[in-house]
Amino acid sequence: MEHLQLTLSYVNQVLIFAVFALSLNLLQGYAGQVSVAPAAFGAVGGYTLGYLFLNDPSSLNTPLGALLLVIIGSVGAAIVGALVAFPALRLTTEWLILLTLAVQTIIVSLVQTVSKLGGTYGLQNISGLKIFGRELDQPADMFPFFLAMTLIVFAVCWRMGESPYGRVLRGIREDEIACRSLGKNVFLFKTIAFGMTAGMAGLAGTMQVINNTVASPPLFDFSQSSTIVSMVVVGGAGNLLGSFVGVAVLVLMQPLFEHVLNFGADAAALWRLIAFGVVLIVVLMVRPAGLLPDKVTRRLGKTLAKMKDRPAEGSDFVPHPDLQEMHAIEEHLSTEDKVRVMPRALAIKETSGNGPATSAVNIGDVVLKVVGLSKRFGGIVAAENLDMELRRGTITALVGPNGAGKTTVFNLLTGAIRPDAGEVYLGGEDIVGLTPDRIAKRGMARSFQAVRIFPRLSVLENVALGVQHQPGESFAQLFGNVPRTMKVEKEVRERSREWLTFVGMADFADQPAGGLAFGQQKLVALARVLATEAEVLLLDEPASGIDHQWVDVMLGLIEQIGQQGRTVCIVEHNLHVVERLADHTYFMELGRITAQGSFVELTTDKRLAEAYFGTA
Amino acid sequence: MSSVNFANFLQLLADGIFNGTAYALIGVGFSLILSVSGRFHIAYAMTYTLAAYVAAWMGTAYHVPFWPALLLGALAAALLGALMERLVYLPLSLRALSRGADPLLVMFVASLGLTVIVRNGIALAALQQSSVNIQGFNNQGINWGPITVTTLNLTTFFTTWGLIFALWAVLNLTNLGRMIRAVRANWEMSLCIGIDPSLIFVMVFVIGSFFSGVAGVFQATFASATPDLGLPPFFYALVVAFLAGLTSGPIRIALVAVALGVVEAMSTLLLPTQFTPLVVFAILFFYVALRPVNFKDLRRRFSPKPQVAAG
Repeated sequence: MEHLQLTLSYVNQVLIFAVFALSLNLLQGYAGQVSVAPAAFGAVGGYTLGYLFLNDPSSLNTPLGALLLVIIGSVGAAIVGALVAFPALRLTTEWLILLTLAVQTIIVSLVQTVSKLGGTYGLQNISGLKIFGRELDQPADMFPFFLAMTLIVFAVCWRMGESPYGRVLRGIREDEIACRSLGKNVFLFKTIAFGMTAGMAGLAGTMQVINNTVASPPLFDFSQSSTIVSMVVVGGAGNLLGSFVGVAVLVLMQPLFEHVLNFGADAAALWRLIAFGVVLIVVLMVRPAGLLPDKVTRRLGKTLAKMKDRPAEGSDFVPHPDLQEMHAIEEHLSTEDKVRVMPRALAIKETSGNGPATSAVNIGDVVLKVVGLSKRFGGIVAAENLDMELRRGTITALVGPNGAGKTTVFNLLTGAIRPDAGEVYLGGEDIVGLTPDRIAKRGMARSFQAVRIFPRLSVLENVALGVQHQPGESFAQLFGNVPRTMKVEKEVRERSREWLTFVGMADFADQPAGGLAFGQQKLVALARVLATEAEVLLLDEPASGIDHQWVDVMLGLIEQIGQQGRTVCIVEHNLHVVERLADHTYFMELGRITAQGSFVELTTDKRLAEAYFGTA
Repeated sequence: MSSVNFANFLQLLADGIFNGTAYALIGVGFSLILSVSGRFHIAYAMTYTLAAYVAAWMGTAYHVPFWPALLLGALAAALLGALMERLVYLPLSLRALSRGADPLLVMFVASLGLTVIVRNGIALAALQQSSVNIQGFNNQGINWGPITVTTLNLTTFFTTWGLIFALWAVLNLTNLGRMIRAVRANWEMSLCIGIDPSLIFVMVFVIGSFFSGVAGVFQATFASATPDLGLPPFFYALVVAFLAGLTSGPIRIALVAVALGVVEAMSTLLLPTQFTPLVVFAILFFYVALRPVNFKDLRRRFSPKPQVAAG
């Protein structure tokens, strides 16, 4: 019997740390938000439970018993976590480490300082807790409760991580700016992630206090937090099952050193930590993604290994057979035929109610109107008094020398930078001051010159992130309406596959995007921006940096997009591209639009021809 | 809470300056390592602790006098720092680069691992002793009018500032200093002009760890050496380094450290003494939290704006 209790006490330890590790893994492995404060959130939960219980033991007199206190503790931690999210939202890794370190230290110093919380000794004698009338005294009593809590946390983390919701979290981990440009409210996702994971850490804290019958600072100090971080890394960030492995490796080293190797309890505790430190560093060296890496990272590793033996793009690179075939088909198709091979969604604006100005679809209508747009960075004029119009079903090009401010215009239009003055009307409504995600949702999406693909997501997932109005991306629907989220997810994947077929990348759907050649990544990025089904598409140098065979494919695709009534604006250096695509061209110099007209009009302008285009 | 009078104020000011000086040495050392090599080196706390133990053991076991023991402790710290860089950080950073992982995060986690190993290794070696003392320093109080200082305060003060000025001189006046600054600015470019960044990384680990070692021995002389000696002062070093700006020169960083020490000491005028660590971390929290906020942008966002439809 004693043996069983001892075994179960280790199992309980595994379960407690598993809850800590699962919650941190969701935050760090999926959402990419580093935190060194999980134990501090545990302290919020654990101390809340201990304080409420010691001050009013009658609070246990409901049938829920201590479960009520567990819930209150977890919610308290969730609130603190969501509050911490606010300053954390715009921080890069090193600042995030620093901020969470400050939070960790502040919370533990606070509980250590406040005399009502027991100071250095903490809150003692938290025993005699009951849940559903059952006392939680021995490890065997706690085990079923701990197991249930761990399973619930695992289910919640799984649902959040391995779903459209988790896809967005992983997108945020890979590239926040790209995520916002696809209409994702990064702010909300991060706040919920911080709040939920802090709440789960708070739950682990209550379990820790129940298990130890005390709530004391050493249970929740920095070394506990760093242990939890290490467990996640050893197990594999982004793989929830890996967290169990990481936790088990560390916790079960104690009985190994104490009972198997007979080191004595004190020395065994130190040896197990030393051994774990060594395991951590060896894992980082040998398996940087952890013992159980997440599946895309695993595949990416294999692809990168293969790439070492592959010839570099540009030398004797041959496009994928799909593309060659598609190219061949295209050459023999009339425009009407081409329309038929395109995804339904490309022409969707005529039937769907999404986006602005869909009621009256007339080619040539002004969809985007820019009036007096200006932006200065200190003494540098990035944009001065710009007036522009983009018309439906046409392709507009923005050309000019390096540093003219072309990409800045895209940043201003999409809300990435706020203009100092001027208005931008999308479908008649001023969108200045809206965040990039809201502008994307209103029907203007952009691509990036440096593609900004999500490398550790599959090609299909990259495109699926572009699809708008997914119930699975809403926290409430994720848990509130499971059948609908599953049904829509199936449609999202189908539609994403259609877009990939359209750009000729369907065969690569399940590959990690980071393993593709640059030209392929550009095609995936195009599919991704198309998947937003935005009315206005801003394409930043869509044909730059890619092999000439791909350029042709890319331009053919953009032409088709324009022909379908989408409004396209491209920034481009390559004059052949502009000549082939642009219906209207703006010429920018030093932040000003100095000329506009057709491509021929601009290239025949004497001043521009001499200064920029070269005399032909 | 202390009562406010001039003598009290002067004493707190002196305490603040001396405490701040203690943070200065490790603040400078940590930021040198982080800014040049990019390693988020939490195990820095452990070179501090190791030096204290080595100096203490030298004194108790071999009767080595204070200053040679301090030097040996600091050299042991420098050696440990160099080994950590050479055996763990450098190989890991090369792997991280080749796999596209975030090197900062990898280094940070590795550093956690090193911290755990060294901290518990020391605890294991000193399992029978809860703490050890540094021998051979005769600490005495000196009364300067209304304030009292100790010979340890003054020794720490002059040694620290001596080392900080020496580092300033090395960074600004020597060829090695130019190479360190070049690597800090752009380690890849420094390769093109014949500098081996990996050697410079080891150099900054040696210098930074030596500094932490000196600070650790002084701290252990004041209190005593325990396995957890290093972590709290390391957190202060972190605050100092980031508040001062990582690429700032050593003198500026040291002055920020002193300012932080003074603010911390003065806070006892307003708050109970046990809250002082909170003050430091609250400063850090608000500094980090508010740093990226563009107030001009915020004001614009909340200013009313007419919504007029186009044309």
